[in-house]
Parts: sequence; C-alpha cells; structure tokens
Amino acid sequence: MVQGMLIGSTYGLLALGMGLIFGVMGIVSFAQGDLVSLGMFLCLALYAGFGLDPYVSVFVTVPLLMISGGAIYWFLIRPIAGQHLLMVVQLTLGLSFVIQNGLLMTFGGQAQRVPSVVDSDLLIVRDVVIQMPHVIAAAVSFGLALGLYAMLGWTDAGRAIRAVSQNSHAAYLMGIKVARVRLVTFAIGCGLVAIAASLLAPGAVMVPAQGFRYTVIILLTMVLGGMTNFVSIMCGGIVIAMSEAVGAVYFADTFGLLLPYLVFVLVMIIRPQGLTWRTT
Amino acid sequence: MRREFYDTLLSPGLWLICALLAALPLFLSGYHLQIVTLALTYAALASAWNIVGGMGGMLSLAHSLFVGIGGMFASALLIRCGINMWVGSLGAAILAAGAGCLVAWIGWRFRLGHLLFALITLAFAEMASIVAMNCEFLGGASGLFLPPDKGRFIAFEFGGMHGTYWVMLLLAAGCIVSNLAVLNLPLGYRLRAVRDNADAAQAIGVPLLRTQVVAMAVSAFLTSIVGSVYARYLSFVDPQLLVSPTLTVEIVLFATVGGLGRPFGPALGALILLPVGEVLRGQFGGALPGLHYFIYGLVVIVVVRFAPRGVLPTINGGWSKFRARRADRIVHAGTNTGVSVTSGAGQN
Repeated sequence: MVQGMLIGSTYGLLALGMGLIFGVMGIVSFAQGDLVSLGMFLCLALYAGFGLDPYVSVFVTVPLLMISGGAIYWFLIRPIAGQHLLMVVQLTLGLSFVIQNGLLMTFGGQAQRVPSVVDSDLLIVRDVVIQMPHVIAAAVSFGLALGLYAMLGWTDAGRAIRAVSQNSHAAYLMGIKVARVRLVTFAIGCGLVAIAASLLAPGAVMVPAQGFRYTVIILLTMVLGGMTNFVSIMCGGIVIAMSEAVGAVYFADTFGLLLPYLVFVLVMIIRPQGLTWRTT
Repeated sequence: MRREFYDTLLSPGLWLICALLAALPLFLSGYHLQIVTLALTYAALASAWNIVGGMGGMLSLAHSLFVGIGGMFASALLIRCGINMWVGSLGAAILAAGAGCLVAWIGWRFRLGHLLFALITLAFAEMASIVAMNCEFLGGASGLFLPPDKGRFIAFEFGGMHGTYWVMLLLAAGCIVSNLAVLNLPLGYRLRAVRDNADAAQAIGVPLLRTQVVAMAVSAFLTSIVGSVYARYLSFVDPQLLVSPTLTVEIVLFATVGGLGRPFGPALGALILLPVGEVLRGQFGGALPGLHYFIYGLVVIVVVRFAPRGVLPTINGGWSKFRARRADRIVHAGTNTGVSVTSGAGQN
C-alpha cells in the first residue's frame, strides 16, 4: 500500500510531463513510455560502461533525452501538429516501435537490472518495510512536482507556458514565441521522463518491451487527473499505483492485474473530466 | 448503393489481380506462401479496421480483442466443448460484434473524444490480454493446440497451406468488398460526416450512435472471422500473438501507411509492408531481433510526416498530377495561344 503510494508519485511525475505537453500543444505522445524505457536502458549502459550509479547518470540522461525530445518535436511532430490529432498518435506509435525495437536490437531481449548503492537498503517504520529506492523516488518526484508548480506559477517562462496553453493565438499576439515555448515544453517533458527513468531504474527488472505498459500507465494517470490539472494528476498517479499494489497483494492473479484498468474505466464512466472537481 | 460500387466490382483489373493472387500457390514455395498468407491476413484485418478507424475516424485500439474472441473463443469452444468451429466462429463473431457495439456505445454515452476513445479501447485491449493469459478455459498463457488439419471442410479445416491461402484470399477480398460497400452506402456517408464534424453531422440529422455502433459491429464481426481462420491457420492458439496490443498497433500502422479511409489503401499497406518485414525477419531475425518492427516504425514515421494521407492516395495524386502536366504541355504545344491553360485536368 505504502509502496503503491510511493511508486504512484513517480507515475504522477511522468504524467505531469505529459499533461504539460498536452496542455501546451494539445497532443499526446504514445511514445512517452518508450522514452522512459530508453532512459532506463541509458542508465544501464552508463552503469555497464562507466560504473555510474543510476542517480548519478541523471546528469547525462536528462540533457540527452531533452535534446532528442526537442529534435523529435521540431522535426517530426511540429510539421504535422496542425492536422488531425490522430496523425500525431499514429506517428508516435511508429516512434514507439522504433525505440522499443532499437533497444531490443542493442540490448537483447533478456531481462536486466541496474544495481545501485541504495538498492537493498530497507527503511523500517514499525511493521512497514519500504525499499529505499521507492522512498527516494517519491521524495524527488514530489519535490520536482512542487518545483514545476512554482516554475509555472511564478517565473516568466512558466507564465509563457501557461499563456500558450490557455490561448496560443493570443499568446502569439502578445509577443510570445509560441514555437519556442512548445519546443521547451516538450523538452521539459522529456527531461522529466529521464529523471523518472533514473528513479524507477534501481532494482527494477527491465525488458525492451516494457515501454508500452509505461505508456498505458502514463496515459491512464493523465486522464484520471483530468488531462491538465496539476494536483489531480499526482492524485491520479497514486490511485493507479495503489490499485496496482492492492490488486497484486489482496486479490487472485487475474483480477489483481485487471484492477487498475477497471478503476480507470469506472472513473472514466463516472467522472469523464477527471478526479477532482476543480478544473484549471 | 451507388453505381460506382458495381463499377469498381466489375472492373477487369481487379479480377485480374484476384486471379493472379489465386494462382499464386501453384508457383510459390512453402515459405513464401506462408508470408503471402500472413500478408493477406493482415490485409483483411487492416481493411476491417479501416471501416472504423479510417472512415469513421474512431481510433479503436480494441481490435486485438475482436481477433482474440474470434481466434481463442472459437478454438476453446471446439476443444473444451466439442462445438463445431463453423458454429463457434460464427458465435464468436456475433459476440465480437456485441463487444464492438458495447465499446461504441460507451464512446457515445460518455461523450469520449477521439483521444479518450483510443485510451479506453486500449484499456479494454489490455484487460482482454490479461484475461486471456490467465483464463484456463482459453488455454492460459501456454495456449491451445487445434487438432491437425485433415482437410475436412465441414470441421473448419481447409486442407493445409493451399486451402487456407485461398480461404484467406477470399476473406481479404470480402473485407475489401465490404469496405467498398460501406463506402458507397448511406452508412459510409454518415460515417465520414461524423468523422469530419460530429456536431454538424448530428445537426443535419445523422444518427450518431446508430452509425458508429453499426460500423463497429461490422468491423468487429469481420475481424473476428478473420481471427478464427488465422487461428486455424496457425493451428496453435497463442494469446501473446492473438490478443496482444501489438497486433492492433500493427494493424493501425499498416492501415495508416496504405491510406486511411480508402477501400484499397489498408490492404495495400499490409501487402507491401508485411512481406518486407517477414523477409527482414528471416534474414536478420537471429542477429537483430525486432529489426522488422524497427523498419515498420520508421516507415510509418516517414509516411505520416511526408505523405499523411497514406501511400496509395499519394501515388494516385502524383500520377494524376503527372498526367495533368503532360496534358497541359500537349495543350500548350498544340494551341500555342500564349494564354495560360488551366484546364480541369489540373484540378485533380
């Protein structure tokens, strides 16, 4: 249960990046989960090559993924952004195939893990046993989410992002360089992905095909959070991860695996606008 | 039904292609025949998906669920209950059509946009694959083996590779013809109206729910039948193959590359891309697993980026532009009036 909450904050962080992208550009990337996967495998490569701890390799993966994300946006998504939403979905589905199988070709299909210094540390509070990486993940995720919130609220860059997300045409007339803001937003989203990948990597078993599952989780989380609302996206992440954890522990196999999706479908049907009442 | 439907149906070129395809097993070796059969399977699936995804603009990612119902449920009925697979596949197809109706109804009732519809169908597909993996009746993760194909037509056996090839060809042709039929029926007009602007379509009296539900049911029905034959062809019902979301993504990619909403586009996309992928897999599968998917992904990115309407319309457009330019040149040379000729041919 606690583990669910902790993991959930990382899902929430991932979905925040996606929500930001959706808010500013009105597009959804089905390749986001594969970018997470890419980030995790980069951690693995850095560990294998230079012995870097996943937490240290953040400093390499974040710029790398931000640049590649920016390139993806500028050369692939921007030219078709004016067209139907589904074209972007199809393009990113293609991209996800490319990333996933590029990873498969480079790293092979067998499951691997990245060790870290805190890998096996346990935090024991009375009768609750928590793995250290999860605690770190949750702390960093919440910290970053707060930082992002502050950035959006009180800096010029954040104001520009919000302006573009509210009304890109008006923002353009006010002298905001809309294309640049979108580029930066997409890059920020990808940077968040890189951080989240480093947070998820220690101790996690990874296979190249995992990206799709992450995409699904991110999208579910984002939709649960009502697409753009900050607080409720974080809540959405926690709900999804908790239902995953509860399902895995308390129910028989099949139903446990189904639980997150059932929760999602139910919430979708009862409250299509997301979990919280407010919409920002 | 518009006259164009019968015109297309009776055009000699089409029959020639069909005849050539039908004669193919007499020349091809087993390995190549397998590839072509697989390509036809995907052509049929992509065409069936096209009714919903291309003409209706509903990005359904739940089609692996329908393939799974057709493939696994019908096989399970045969093996566990001894029900004839003809009956089983028909029942499964009706079940799939029902599921399709349900999905379309959910999309309509809760006013899900394009994006949410894609997501909720994806959630259904994921749930279906989890259920299939863990359900003992459907064979679980280890799958089911169908009895060997002895060519008894009455028992849904088509006599080995050749027979299955012809049946699959028939199915693919059937799916394309139903595409053509839907396109030329009032249903097709309504679907495209809803796709382009749902509000405007409703305002002029297009029944949104009925249109989408019928399209989804037809598409799911066809998909399920193809799924049954596919399972029979494989003889081994593997949930990781038949109900995995990857299958849906492949279908969507083929359809997109070929040309969404066109009657022949998706089939063409599958018939071009799948053999390429299979040959690549045959050549490099050992050294570089996943290379064919990598190439699929690249092709899709290039197509969406540079020819977003798909390969077929782009070729068509290029061809008519070329012809128009030649016609222009002839007109210029012939009249030599100096007045710029902008004939109707240039408007193609």
